[in-house]
Amino acid sequence: MQTLMKLEGITKVYGEGELSVEALRGVDLEIGVGDYLAVMGPSGSGKSTLMHILGLLDTPTAGSYLLDGEEVAGFSRRKLAHLRNRKIGFIFQNFNLLPRASLLRNVELPLLYGGMGRKERRQLAYEALGKVHLADRARHRPNELSGGQRQRGAIARAIVGSPSVIMADEPTGNLDQQTGIEILELFDELRAGGQTLIMVTHDPNIAARARETIRIVDGLILPNGQEAAA
Amino acid sequence: MNPAQFLREGFVEIREHLGRTVLQTLGVILGVASVVATLGMTASMDARRDQYFRESGGTRLMGVYNQPPGELEMTARQRAKTGLKLEDAAAIRRTIDGFDLVVAEIARSHRVRAGATEESFRITAIEPEFGRMRELAMGSGRYITDHDMETAAAVVVLGSTRARELFGTADPVGKAVNIDGKAYTVVGVTAEKVFFWQENDTYNAHEWLNRLIVVPITSYMKRHQEPGAERIDELNLRLRSPEVHKESRDALEQLLRSRHGIEDFGVWDRQERIEQGNREGMIYNITFLACGVISLLVGGIVITNIMLASFTERMREVGVRKALGATGWQVFVQFLIEAIVVTVFGGAMGLALGIVFTFGIMTVMNMPMAITASMIAVSVISATVVGFFFGLYPAVKASRLDPVVALRYE
Repeated sequence: MQTLMKLEGITKVYGEGELSVEALRGVDLEIGVGDYLAVMGPSGSGKSTLMHILGLLDTPTAGSYLLDGEEVAGFSRRKLAHLRNRKIGFIFQNFNLLPRASLLRNVELPLLYGGMGRKERRQLAYEALGKVHLADRARHRPNELSGGQRQRGAIARAIVGSPSVIMADEPTGNLDQQTGIEILELFDELRAGGQTLIMVTHDPNIAARARETIRIVDGLILPNGQEAAA
Repeated sequence: MNPAQFLREGFVEIREHLGRTVLQTLGVILGVASVVATLGMTASMDARRDQYFRESGGTRLMGVYNQPPGELEMTARQRAKTGLKLEDAAAIRRTIDGFDLVVAEIARSHRVRAGATEESFRITAIEPEFGRMRELAMGSGRYITDHDMETAAAVVVLGSTRARELFGTADPVGKAVNIDGKAYTVVGVTAEKVFFWQENDTYNAHEWLNRLIVVPITSYMKRHQEPGAERIDELNLRLRSPEVHKESRDALEQLLRSRHGIEDFGVWDRQERIEQGNREGMIYNITFLACGVISLLVGGIVITNIMLASFTERMREVGVRKALGATGWQVFVQFLIEAIVVTVFGGAMGLALGIVFTFGIMTVMNMPMAITASMIAVSVISATVVGFFFGLYPAVKASRLDPVVALRYE
């Protein structure tokens, strides 16, 4: 299987001197194209930091991170923004749709920042909304949609630019169980289409839907099969 | 993201927070309104003044009048040479190309009798070009002609007010007028000229033209002066074009000084008077404009403040945009354009308010309203500049925001 992301000895230290906190302490991880990976761990374990580094929102203090074979650890903010735009789709626990924009405009945003023309943008946004069964809600604003619809809208926004990987942070955390299941079913569909997915979750039942689960405790990934002592 | 998309974001910002936007831009609105009103009122008054000048001979008029220095300062020889003469008019026509009209004038009071009416009136003795110079139209009959001048004809042209005073409602043309015992025939009456600075004003600024009793200067000299007398009271001049103003005036003063041997004359000059008026008006304009500029600065500070205050509320939005691939530059431009769109919106409202204000003042004063391109340009440019400078700081702040910090913001 082709490697999409490869982390070697990634550390992340916040602060300096005695006040410094080591959020990640030498993480090695390899994620292949088409993987469906669940990241579990207790609060403060470093899973969010790992997600931020994987999602190019943050840079590691030390270590190597190859994305599509390209070393990204030393990239400028601008270059990282371009890579985020092209290669990564984010899904957040609280949806993070822009409240003042219609669903359609929200979904168009990554394409807008990528410099795509209006006509093409619109077409792709409608296609993405079609995949999450929300094409008829395109002109609605987030506050006119249910929680599940909002998260589906966020998924449409994540997939619209055909990114290499979709990173979801507790995507069902703010949804009722039934709606959560619908979202996970959507993920299954995406996975079936060959989409690489990384999902952070507390819930072992949700993690169980992923093909592989890693557990992270105190800034380190536990060896396969080993449960957190806590 | 192209500029149109950034603009759209700016308009969305205004639409979503209309009340806040209006409050935010209040300083800009008042500042621009103040600037626009100042420009508007100045433009209205200038337009009115230009109209007055246009209707009374234009801005190219100039005149020379006698202004003798004290007797003791002059030698007997100088005293003999002093004063404007008919020959000065001829010399100016001959040597100074910058004037297209030169009209000598004598104005004195005489007893004037027409039928049973007799009164002391001022008689103005002129050359025929006077009518053209002062844009006089005929109500009836004709004006003084070159032939009248050559033959020193005993003809008189009355202003409309004088015609009424002397002849009532009857047409005076062809009738006799007696000036200090000398008989003249009325050949024409000039049409009434009216100019009110304000519409319900009682003072007609052109009334003096309606009160003229005009005779050819040659006829006057022949009938009312000693033989050989050649002194005149005034020289009326018109510049060929405004461009030759300075050189012609210099040449005029130099010529008269050399002919008279002494500076025994004064010069009135419309162009100079307008420039002087503009200078005097400038102090008021500067005061009003300064108030406007201060208001704009305060408005700008308010905009910065509100943008910073609303910034926390938009932190997460910035984080989301960055997560989706917005570069710092794109966020910077978006915030800056939003600030500019908001202030230009304020500028447009200020322009409207300024126009309404000017319109109100001009209506009260019964003066015409003038809207100039400079009013619109000033409002748009000043609002853009304010938006740019006072939007810079919040825009830089937003662009530098760490996406992780922004996304975590609750």
